Amino acid sequence: MTTTVPTPVRKPRSQSQWSIVWSQFKRNPLARVGLGLLGLLYLMAILAGFLAPYGLTEYSTTDRISWAPPTPIHWRDAQGHFGPYVNGIRRDIDMETFRDKYVEDTSVTCPVKFFQTHPGMEGRTYRFLGFIPTSLKLFSVDAPCKLYLWGSDSYGRDQFSRVMYGSQISLSIGIIASVLTVILGLIMGGIAGYFRGLTDTLIMRMVEVLSAIPELFLLITLRALFPLNADPILVFYIVIGILAVIGWGGLARIVRGQILSSREQDYVQAATALGASDTRIIAKHLLPNTATYIIIFLSLAIPGFILSESGLSFIGIGIVEPYASWGSLLKVAQDGGFESLDARPWTLIPGVFIVLAVLAWQFVGDGLRDAFDPRRRR
Amino acid sequence: MLSEVSVLPYIFRRILQFIPTFLLATLLAFFIVQLAPGDFLSQLKENPSVRPETVERLRKEFGLDQPIIVQYFYWLKNFVMGNLGQSFQYKRPVNEVLPGPFMNSLILVIIGTVLHFAVSIPVGVYSAVRPYSTADKTFTFLSYIFLGIPSFFFALLVIWGMLKLQQNFGWDMPLGNKTSSKLPTDISWWRSAWDVFIHALAPTIILVLRGISSESRFIRGQLLEVLGQDYVRTARAKGVAENQVVYKHALRTALIPTIAGLGGLLPALIGGAGFIEVVFNWPGLTPLQLTALGNQDIYILQAVTAVATLLYLVGNLLSDVLLSVIDPRIRYH
Repeated sequence: MTTTVPTPVRKPRSQSQWSIVWSQFKRNPLARVGLGLLGLLYLMAILAGFLAPYGLTEYSTTDRISWAPPTPIHWRDAQGHFGPYVNGIRRDIDMETFRDKYVEDTSVTCPVKFFQTHPGMEGRTYRFLGFIPTSLKLFSVDAPCKLYLWGSDSYGRDQFSRVMYGSQISLSIGIIASVLTVILGLIMGGIAGYFRGLTDTLIMRMVEVLSAIPELFLLITLRALFPLNADPILVFYIVIGILAVIGWGGLARIVRGQILSSREQDYVQAATALGASDTRIIAKHLLPNTATYIIIFLSLAIPGFILSESGLSFIGIGIVEPYASWGSLLKVAQDGGFESLDARPWTLIPGVFIVLAVLAWQFVGDGLRDAFDPRRRR
Repeated sequence: MLSEVSVLPYIFRRILQFIPTFLLATLLAFFIVQLAPGDFLSQLKENPSVRPETVERLRKEFGLDQPIIVQYFYWLKNFVMGNLGQSFQYKRPVNEVLPGPFMNSLILVIIGTVLHFAVSIPVGVYSAVRPYSTADKTFTFLSYIFLGIPSFFFALLVIWGMLKLQQNFGWDMPLGNKTSSKLPTDISWWRSAWDVFIHALAPTIILVLRGISSESRFIRGQLLEVLGQDYVRTARAKGVAENQVVYKHALRTALIPTIAGLGGLLPALIGGAGFIEVVFNWPGLTPLQLTALGNQDIYILQAVTAVATLLYLVGNLLSDVLLSVIDPRIRYH
């Protein structure tokens, strides 16, 4: 007689909300693309010092190479050796337009070197991952050659390096400003919804007034509060502050609405009856209800703030020299007038990164919104 | 019309509601501008380009030696009377400086509004009638792109493209500023109006692309939802032609929120036009405001913010009124 071992009946494990959301999110191809793109962009920001061949503000005071076009990279030299190298740059005058132009000096060749350290070179030392001081660069060329992958600006600074360093500001400002906005919105909305009465009226009036002034004009007016020539680091924080101040209203309104409706629920009354404090009720019982909304809000607010920051910097009231953000780099393209745009189209490259970052965040945000929405389950 | 009778008190109520908001908003803007570093009155006295008589007159008209809150009421009184103060950089009253840039911004906004509806409604309807078709997918994809691209960057790209066309084909491109400098001065009014129009075209298209992208998707969603409703099925069942079903029965309902959004669209465009004005060198409100910021020309800063806010509120009022005309239920709340 054979006994069959009863195959254990596996109970289908119930999924937690987060695992459902994650599996829904993964099924959305655009969201996957967005997440991958964001990974690459933020990796670029973290490794900016390593990827950038030059320092953020590094330029030669003796031999200034303004508006050099992207340096061509050659692969096979005269002897037939294979390997990337660049030629030197020589200044020449275009006999038709009488403008400066740069031609390759084929008598000077410098190989592109990988993983070189540059001890003692000013501006090239950076902190790898924020704490290891090093001057290791992914690629670089030795003097007298210059490697301008995406051209140089009016001071002769390498635009590729500035775009890399600029990504740190552009990408972080969006996150910091939206987190600040969420904190502000939660506090104000929470207070308004929970205490109601006069506090509520005051806060909601404030939201209404702030939203009654068109955003761009509010931004410009708020910027007038601080001197235009303030310390560059301070300006960075000013911009974050301004963005947060104009952004919190919408969220506060939603949070207030949610709290107004859920504070009438039985479990809140039970908590009150048990003697829970106001802070505890707001933080433990009311705000968690808004978690889903806040996650979606965050992921859609970040691209908005990236756009706002680049816009502010673009019209010259955001990030200032010597620091760079993608917006302030794009300002360089605008400042020279229409003709310069034609002469040096490579100054448009920073804009591509703004588009990529904004699109990627939007894909992720839309993906999250769909994943949280039970009606849109796939 | 019967409905007008009940709409009027509603409008009146809404106007009463918007007055405090306007007062508080301008008060806020006034405080911010006044809080800007530096004592304004002493700065004025030290400024060699401002005559002492002007300072004296401003002191009297705007109460410059009074506390800020009193100054605000001086300013408000003058604003209501139509005196916007003195511009220091232009050395003229703000009343004379403001109308030009204001009209220029309005040109962009008006052409933009027309374009907005003329494009987004057909695109939205087409996408809803043929959902998930190739054209619909293309529109969705394009709207994603246009929503992600900052308007100023897109403007730079367009200018670059126009310059390339100009070079390669020798076409004369309406680029930069409001009018072309090559035109003779003694041309007929319609010719110069046309000149302004073609100069405004590229900036306006860029200005509204963002709005069109989201609006056409929104209309698509609305129409799809309405098309799934019972009364549409009834109409189809009793043999109404498909065109009639879509355009007469469904579209009217689906467009309600869009039409009500008109009021919000105007101020959004005024704000959004800012970056484009800067890139295209269009002499509108934002370039005026930016130079005023650089020169601490506070009456311009204050006036532009106040006028833009007023426009914004009037736009909101307009959309509320439109909505109440379309949907009578709103009036009773």
